[in-house]
Amino acid sequence: MKGAILKVTENVANPIINFLEKGLDKKCFDAVLIPVKVPVGNSFAWVLIQNKSLLEDANPLPPVMPVQGAKALSSITRMGKTNKKIAAIMRPCEVRAAVELSKLEQVNLENIFLISIDCPGVLPLKDYLERPEEAMDKFNEILLGACPERSRRAQNDIEWGNESTRPACQVCDKFVGTDLGFCQSDLHIGILGTKDKNIFLIPNNEKGKSILNKMDIEAEKSMDNWEKKAKELMEVRKKKKKEVQERLKFKVMGIDNLLDVFSNCINCHNCRSACPICYCRQCYFESEKMKLPSDDYLMRAKSKGALRFLPDTLLFHLGRMTHMSLSCVGCGACEDACPMSIDVAQIFSFVADNSQGLFNYIPGKNAEEPLSLRIYKEDEFHEVET
Amino acid sequence: MVEKIGVYVCECGPNIADNVDIDKVMETISSLPGVEVVERHKLLCSQNGKKFLKESIQEHGLTRIVVAACSPKQHEVTFMKVCEEAGINPYLFQLTNIREQCAWIITDKELATERAIRYIRAALRRVPFHRDLAKKEIETNPDVLVIGGGIAGMEASLLLAGGDRKIYLIEKTDVLGGKVKELDKLLPRMESSLNIISQKIQEVEQSEDIKVYTKSEVEEVLGFLGNFVVKVKIGENKELELRVGAIVVATGFSMFDLKQLPRYGYGQYDNVYTALEFEKMNIDGKILLKDGKPPKSIGIIHCVGREERGYCSGVCCMYCLKFANYIKSKLPDADVSEFYQELSIPGKAHQKFYEDTKAKGVNFIRYDEVEVMDKGIKYKTESGEEKTSSVDMVVLAPAIEPSGDTGKLAEMLRVSQGDGGFFQEEHPKLAPVSTSMEGIFIAGCTQGPKNIPESIVQAQAVAGRILSSLIPGKKLELEVKTSEISEALCIGCQTCLEVCTYGAIYFDEMKRVSVVNEVLCRGCGNCVGSCPSGAASVKHFTTTQLHQEVVEALR
Repeated sequence: MKGAILKVTENVANPIINFLEKGLDKKCFDAVLIPVKVPVGNSFAWVLIQNKSLLEDANPLPPVMPVQGAKALSSITRMGKTNKKIAAIMRPCEVRAAVELSKLEQVNLENIFLISIDCPGVLPLKDYLERPEEAMDKFNEILLGACPERSRRAQNDIEWGNESTRPACQVCDKFVGTDLGFCQSDLHIGILGTKDKNIFLIPNNEKGKSILNKMDIEAEKSMDNWEKKAKELMEVRKKKKKEVQERLKFKVMGIDNLLDVFSNCINCHNCRSACPICYCRQCYFESEKMKLPSDDYLMRAKSKGALRFLPDTLLFHLGRMTHMSLSCVGCGACEDACPMSIDVAQIFSFVADNSQGLFNYIPGKNAEEPLSLRIYKEDEFHEVET
Repeated sequence: MVEKIGVYVCECGPNIADNVDIDKVMETISSLPGVEVVERHKLLCSQNGKKFLKESIQEHGLTRIVVAACSPKQHEVTFMKVCEEAGINPYLFQLTNIREQCAWIITDKELATERAIRYIRAALRRVPFHRDLAKKEIETNPDVLVIGGGIAGMEASLLLAGGDRKIYLIEKTDVLGGKVKELDKLLPRMESSLNIISQKIQEVEQSEDIKVYTKSEVEEVLGFLGNFVVKVKIGENKELELRVGAIVVATGFSMFDLKQLPRYGYGQYDNVYTALEFEKMNIDGKILLKDGKPPKSIGIIHCVGREERGYCSGVCCMYCLKFANYIKSKLPDADVSEFYQELSIPGKAHQKFYEDTKAKGVNFIRYDEVEVMDKGIKYKTESGEEKTSSVDMVVLAPAIEPSGDTGKLAEMLRVSQGDGGFFQEEHPKLAPVSTSMEGIFIAGCTQGPKNIPESIVQAQAVAGRILSSLIPGKKLELEVKTSEISEALCIGCQTCLEVCTYGAIYFDEMKRVSVVNEVLCRGCGNCVGSCPSGAASVKHFTTTQLHQEVVEALR
């Protein structure tokens, strides 16, 4: 693997911003889609920037993910390709969701330059908003965990995806935007394994190479250090994921356990709104089809003894699960959005890992790979035949 | 509006009455909301029963009908006709199956009765959500496109060309006649192949209704039975658009590529020929070795590529016997050996042909394994003995394969390929010349290896199918239960376009939604099943209708 090395001046964001400014200058792209800290309050929002000077306020690696990047990109390109070239700086799970949405015609990638970045995980939105400054410090510590020499604390003390990040991030094994992470960005920015004060630029395809070329950035340096560190961390995560899912399995096994898990649900459907893959114009569970006459409920109450209201809570989650499971990128946005702190992301990505495994499909890995349910194979799943 | 629903329970002679307590069913159902009338009848599908049903519908001024009887496969159409005669839209009726799915399979009468009530309740819950659906008809084009100018394609063209329709015959090569033209004689009568095929070619060329395009290939096919639009490429750069009502595929076959099996020595040793090369030699009049001398001993090897292809081509045994006859008549002293694995000689005239051939002194050697060497054939017998036979000429009978462009054509026509890569017929026994695409037919070796009379039979069958279904001036009734896609719900992901086997959905770029072409749609429901947004639904099987029915059935 070959790439370029950029020097870090003040912080990791700095060389990235400089790179983007240069890209705008050289007309490699005409606009940049990037998270920016909102002027009032502490949160971050996706901003489409054409004016170079505004890039100063951008943060390519914010500590939280209030809106999944693929959703932002979808709202820009849903009606077709953009006439100008846009560079979108996103986390790998956001890139994967964007690629997945492109297969569903909800994102058009034609004039989009996807830049992914090594993801240290994000903090739960609630934790961050409670004590933003403290959380920001914590996040920066995690970030510096990538280059322990720069950390104020002792080496190995802080790991990426540690317990202060969201549960989904703690077990994420696709946190890099190259083939290693099954991610198809055009250019990946590596932060892992930089002993000095550097970041890595790794082109994933010709598009990435040509832009580096245009910017006179030579991409012939070895990326072995980055790769080694990424692989190490990946192994750790895989192990952790296995442990977590092994525990989770018993928590959600069977209808009674599922009812328990989702018993706190208040039917706000925030999980669905935050999900980048849930893109239906109208959710079935809000359609007329789910509105039944009172007699129906009385009859159901009679046959079951009692009926909980709002009704069909579990059906909603299972319905959503069947709908988006094969495309779920495990980003954790749903869990962040849940006001009742239900482990919805963990459950959904656990199921997703299994359903995707059946089709040997990894969502967002490759824009050319067809969606599993769109291809017909005569010879498969004989176990479901009777 | 409150519906007035009539429920009719059929006894079906003893079939239902014996195992379902119909009085109890009627008593329970009559108290349900919306039920205007409940009646029973001994045999609703009888003349008497249909009359009774019609009069009862009219008498009570019903707006919805539920018939509890047999499988919809059996009598749905029967009762829909009665509804029509009674002046009610036939789609406002529901046939609920209390025979196959109830009386016949549940032995306990009480349980069967309870189940019958449950099914009728489900139907009662469904029918208020039924909608009037109207029949639609479209004009059809009686003209036919025939792809392939071999014996099957020509035969079909000749039968179809009857003055009131035009036949377009597309041939890839520059001449008509196909593979039959490359044969010397036809068994069992050993008549000249050329005479027969030339006569057919002449008839085709003289027909005013058949337009032949040689050096032509089909480029694109759109549409459906009655209305196909076909793009044809003629020669290098001419293009033609044809409008036809049916398409006949008669693209014939290719021979198994012998280069794949070096053990037969083809291309490696002199005097190893394929069956068609041997035919050519006979057409030219002389069986000669490369050095110009007549061969003294000839080995004919059957079953070449049979194992690799996984099927018996069925025709090789007979033509190999024919080859022995070619040789015996030209070179009476030559030694002829037939190396076979299995002999396949069915047919009323073939046994005699075999015996006559054998009587001419032809050797029949059954082999387990065979290998061609320079001037010899090494083989292993059934008992495992290794033997060598010295021959100075070898003729190979390679397996029959689908012709090279079958895959491309299959994709274009949206017809699948079945065993061996041949075109898949609609049903191997009951519908061997039609395909899953209405209006597209297959004849001859494009459907599978076969001999000339079998190809002719298929060509004639295809002609019969087309003549009886595509009648000039007659309109075609379209599927009523087509799919529709809600503009309000469609998010434009275009999944439906990929799963539609009829090419019946297109994408409206302006509105960014998928749209169903009702002329092409057959209402299979693929799009409904795959639509992630629930925007697609099939008329008469809407989500609401099914949901209501299932909810009630499960209550």
